[in-house]
Amino acid sequence: MAMNETDQGYLLPCGRDVEAVWDRLDEIDAHELECPHCLGARESLRALRAATEEMALDTEEPSRALFGRIMSAVRAEVRRGEVLPVPSDDAGPIHVSGRAIAAVLRFAADTVPGVRARHCHVVARIDVIDVALKLAVSHVNLTVDVVDVVRERVTAAASARVGVRVNRLDITVEDLYDL
Amino acid sequence: MTAEHVIAKPVVAAVAAHAASGVAGVVRLEPGVAGLVGSVARTARQRFKGLEPVPTEGVRVRVEGRVWVEVDVVTSAVDQAVAVARAVQRAVAAAVTEATGLPVAAVAVFVLDIELS
Repeated sequence: MAMNETDQGYLLPCGRDVEAVWDRLDEIDAHELECPHCLGARESLRALRAATEEMALDTEEPSRALFGRIMSAVRAEVRRGEVLPVPSDDAGPIHVSGRAIAAVLRFAADTVPGVRARHCHVVARIDVIDVALKLAVSHVNLTVDVVDVVRERVTAAASARVGVRVNRLDITVEDLYDL
Repeated sequence: MTAEHVIAKPVVAAVAAHAASGVAGVVRLEPGVAGLVGSVARTARQRFKGLEPVPTEGVRVRVEGRVWVEVDVVTSAVDQAVAVARAVQRAVAAAVTEATGLPVAAVAVFVLDIELS
């Protein structure tokens, strides 16, 4: 540990320096056995040393439960940043996370055989939502029909799982993959 | 003689949290970072006095004659998220008025996640 250099350390009333006592904490000479100032200083320094050693040895980490709660709070904070208003009445406004809606819609698209949902972007219009969905499709399953099935499932999921109507659904097949 | 009743905000929040978490389709209430810090402080204070605090995470309350409540919830994808949110609004408004006598101006509901399982 770096210490500030001073011309003179802290002098005890008996004339000895506290630094000197610290340096020889485990040795003791005739003067220090009798001198009350040196004994007092030694005792305090021993307590300080014990406390710092204990803290240095303490490697215990915060519990998994607390860590989990903090991470969950942080994720919630991110989702709170982009909530979309949905139709509501006098009881008060209702907002649903855009990411949560996108996850539901991606999941619905994934249920179509040979389809992997990729990016899904949801924009709120008045009382309805606009969705842009990107897909990767297995080359075996690529037909015009597959996009129609995706459209059907995504629209159904939006109304059944979320409770919003899809106004516009743009589907982009941006990639093909081998099974 | 007139008497004045003062209902502390954590009381309203605890009543609201209890009502909201009992609604079918609500998986849990979602505390944000501010809510987590507040709840840890409140828990520590009550533990110090030997009390187990009632949870208020995920609920924010404003009282100015009437009560404004904001609730952050995670819903289950089995139920329609918006319908669950409406049920939360009704349950919270009814519970707060019943427990405190304060009129509820509005209950804002934020569905922060829809749990797929």
